[in-house]
Amino acid sequence: MTIKTNTERITFHDAIATMEVDFANMTFADAAQVDTMYDEIESRLTETGRRWFFLVIYTDCVIAPEAWDRFAERGKNANINHGLGSVRVGATAQTRDAIRQSAGQESFRSNIYDSRDQALLALGEMRKRKRDMQAATEEAFLRVENVSLSFGGVKAITGVSFDIKRGEISSIIGPNGAGKSSMLNVINGVYHPQEGAITFLGNVRRQMNPRAAATQGIARTFQNIALFKGMSVLDNIMTGRNLKMKANLLQQAFWLGPAQREELEHRVKVEEIIDFLEIQHIRKTPVGRLPYGLQKRVDLARALAMEPQLLLLDEPMAGMNVEEKQDMCRFILDVNDQFGTTVLLIEHDMGVVMDLSDFVVVLDHGEKIAEGTADEVRSDPVVISAYLGASH
Amino acid sequence: MSFFLETLLGGLMSGMLYSLVALGFVLIYKASGVFNFAQGAMVLFAALSMARFSEWIPEWLGMDNLLMANLLAIVVSVVVMFAVAWLIERLVLRHLVNQEGATLLMATLGIGYFLDGLGQTVFGSDIYKIDVGMPKEPVMMLESVFEGGILINKEDFVAALISAMLVLALTIFFQKTSTGRALRAVADDHQAAQSIGIPLGRIWVIVWCVAGITALVAGIIWGSKLGVQFSLQTVALRALPVVILGGLTSVPGAIIGGLIIGVGEKLSEVFLGPYVGGGIEIWFAYMLALMFLLFRPQGLFGEKIIYRD
Amino acid sequence: MFYRENGQFKTTYKSDQQVFAIPQDRWAILAIIAFAFLGIPLLVDEYIFRAILIPFLILSLAALGVNILVGYCGQITLGAGAFMAVGAYAAYNFLIRVSGMPALGAILLGGLTAAAVGIVFGIPSLRVRGLYLAVATLAAQFFCDWAFLRVKWFTNDSSSGSVSVADISLMGWTINSATDKYLFCLGILVVFSLMAKNLVRSAIGRQWMAIRDMDVAATVIGIRPMYAKLSAFAVSSFYVGVAGGLWGFVHLGSWEPAAFSIDRSFQLLFMVIIGGMGSIAGSFFGAAFIVILPIFLNQMLPLIGGLFGLEVSIALVAHVEIMVFGALIIFFLIVEPHGIARLWSTGREKLRLWPFPH
Repeated sequence: MTIKTNTERITFHDAIATMEVDFANMTFADAAQVDTMYDEIESRLTETGRRWFFLVIYTDCVIAPEAWDRFAERGKNANINHGLGSVRVGATAQTRDAIRQSAGQESFRSNIYDSRDQALLALGEMRKRKRDMQAATEEAFLRVENVSLSFGGVKAITGVSFDIKRGEISSIIGPNGAGKSSMLNVINGVYHPQEGAITFLGNVRRQMNPRAAATQGIARTFQNIALFKGMSVLDNIMTGRNLKMKANLLQQAFWLGPAQREELEHRVKVEEIIDFLEIQHIRKTPVGRLPYGLQKRVDLARALAMEPQLLLLDEPMAGMNVEEKQDMCRFILDVNDQFGTTVLLIEHDMGVVMDLSDFVVVLDHGEKIAEGTADEVRSDPVVISAYLGASH
Repeated sequence: MSFFLETLLGGLMSGMLYSLVALGFVLIYKASGVFNFAQGAMVLFAALSMARFSEWIPEWLGMDNLLMANLLAIVVSVVVMFAVAWLIERLVLRHLVNQEGATLLMATLGIGYFLDGLGQTVFGSDIYKIDVGMPKEPVMMLESVFEGGILINKEDFVAALISAMLVLALTIFFQKTSTGRALRAVADDHQAAQSIGIPLGRIWVIVWCVAGITALVAGIIWGSKLGVQFSLQTVALRALPVVILGGLTSVPGAIIGGLIIGVGEKLSEVFLGPYVGGGIEIWFAYMLALMFLLFRPQGLFGEKIIYRD
Repeated sequence: MFYRENGQFKTTYKSDQQVFAIPQDRWAILAIIAFAFLGIPLLVDEYIFRAILIPFLILSLAALGVNILVGYCGQITLGAGAFMAVGAYAAYNFLIRVSGMPALGAILLGGLTAAAVGIVFGIPSLRVRGLYLAVATLAAQFFCDWAFLRVKWFTNDSSSGSVSVADISLMGWTINSATDKYLFCLGILVVFSLMAKNLVRSAIGRQWMAIRDMDVAATVIGIRPMYAKLSAFAVSSFYVGVAGGLWGFVHLGSWEPAAFSIDRSFQLLFMVIIGGMGSIAGSFFGAAFIVILPIFLNQMLPLIGGLFGLEVSIALVAHVEIMVFGALIIFFLIVEPHGIARLWSTGREKLRLWPFPH
């Protein structure tokens, strides 16, 4: 029986995105031997610069009790840093116990099979599941399905559906009274639609309150600025961190450790946002005294302080001059680029929307009349007659 | 049985006075969105003015015709209440347009305090009587129906009649005159009314004048029954649950709510009070109002309150 | 000239978040507190303690409580007097019914009882606001007025609802002279003021103000209106309840329900309006103003009347007093809704920049 070198024990199967590690007949007597093996594995993995499924062969592999802890730890790290999932083959009862023990502690599934073929089959299943899940989460980052909303008999939205993809900037446009703001209010739980469902990050809901939406990571700004007028810019933005602050009333009353620490931590985060939006000079000013354009920026800052997954902007450019509009466009693009935040905005100003958006939904009289890329929508005759023709 | 009916009637009578005060609340709230905490102070002020002028005018003019003196005193008091209304609009409300309800509420608290102080400074702070020649003798009624009958003051009948006439006059004023229609337009939508050229300031003065007149009527009735004294000012606090019950925007609500509270107070005091130590009149009305706040905030007849941003 | 920030740079967020970020302010406040503890007892006579300073300290504490609710959380209350009464009578019952209960413990427990009652009467605030809420708080006022007058258990079967507390002591220190009482109240006020300042500058304070300024936006960023409002009611009622306990135990000694009538409620609200809504310092200004104004008018009006040969009766002074209060309320609501505190800070702002206003 030839003895393989450590290098020979590692094989990459590109076609099934799997790294096979062959521990067969190996003996790990102590932590140092584990390290030698895993250093090799880690360095090879790092070279590839991507994640892999792991197929690990344990046939007749012996791990001495002194090495268990190190083995479990290195294995876990490799999984966290480079793994998509693991299957294992033919461990001895002893190794199996060791793996199960550490797996049990870490509450990972152990996935141990008797033969390599069985393991490969399981791996196939695992890959498929993973792919489906990925597809599902990507598609249904935000899915609006057949939503209808009315106020005491007056229909605001009728059977509207659309999907928003992760990481994109999307817009809802439409003439006044088309139901744009109502749609936003439905998405973040202020209004409860009579029909239809909202799916955000795979969680379906028919109704929910604004707090639940905020907890899920949906933040928004307001059309006619809903800042807290009596508070300073800094305090306004700090309220955005509210959900992340956990100190209780007594700790706050006596300014005890946790309260003070929290206050400082979140202040640092808030200052980053202040820098990002270039409003350092007004941080102590009461917002009521600020000009309109700056108030809009503070409104955005407060929403960003929530570190949202999805940022809803209600007419972010309304009432601004050209220069302020350009600034705001730049901020929206930067937010999308730097933080990877998905943005959904509603806007009246067609030019701005078309420049910014990856995807546009057009509403009219509460119904969806078109959707697509900016160019598709621009050339759609229905849109032109309903909207562009009317306002330009 | 006759005791129960007498209690009931007594409740209806005091309920009618609550209705008059509540009517003042509703008128002003409908037209300006202001809840006028000073309504009680206005009742006191009007009653003091009435009581003192009916005393002073015969002295000044050297006449002793009671009817003439009372008529003159009423005219003067009406003028005084108009002046008060005009000054309130001029000095206070005009400067608080578009403020929040709570701010306006506190401002009317201030007005109430000021009027209380002013009234007593100008007119004095003793107990005065108003004698507008209301019949005082009691009458027995329903003797034929059951034994003993019930005892009623004629005065209360006259008072009920006057109140009914006032409500009727107000209804005609609101429904038939152009000013009345303008008032209703303002009540429906301030901005819309302004945009079609209804002068808000003038409308508010008129509404406060009307509220001043209802205060005067309430003050005269109450004053001739029980005398004019500082405690009259608390009638606003007694009548506050009425508008919660009846609905802040409803005139019929104010009247029916007033009667319900008046009767409820008396009946609960007489039949429930002895078990819990008595004196439950005031908080009984408030607890009733509190229940309404929790389960039906718009009251019996009010428009549904919808907060939409 | 010496009130300058030039050359003071803050290098950490921690130093920027201090209660008094400007060193001169910090020293001034410390000096005032030191003077209040050490200097005033040497300078002031018994009358001033009893008529002005002790009422001022206790009413400041109550005004702080009302300000938290009205000024910071934007919920109107016309029932603060009721919560003072709950605090006072609950403290009394803890004192006489629990053997070995120290007076301070009874007062604090009274405050907690008031907080619980405050939460109950605050529940309508979840559905209604403005006038409607005022009605709910008035209900508390009238109900408590009645309960302490008629329910004999609360007053240990005294006939008119009047109860009295003998001299109280704190860990061996018997508080019976005016100076002792003053120091006791001052100590409590200093601690409670610091707590209030901490609350309003931390997360809970921002939640209150957010609900006050724009409740829809507040819910959208995940603030629970129920928690924010009821916590404001609880904290506010706690402060007011403790003030009620002090008012009964320390200031009055023996009292009856009328000490906490609706007039007291209005008085506390006026303190907050005149002193400054949404300002800790405003609570002190308002309390001082309302305690001193009647005394001032009592002294001055007869003198002024004398100049014109008029005799000014006590009744007239009382009437003028309520006129002046009414007028001042209106004045401040119209001209300076943030009260004396804002006038003060505007003045300070000018001083900071003086002599170069730009």
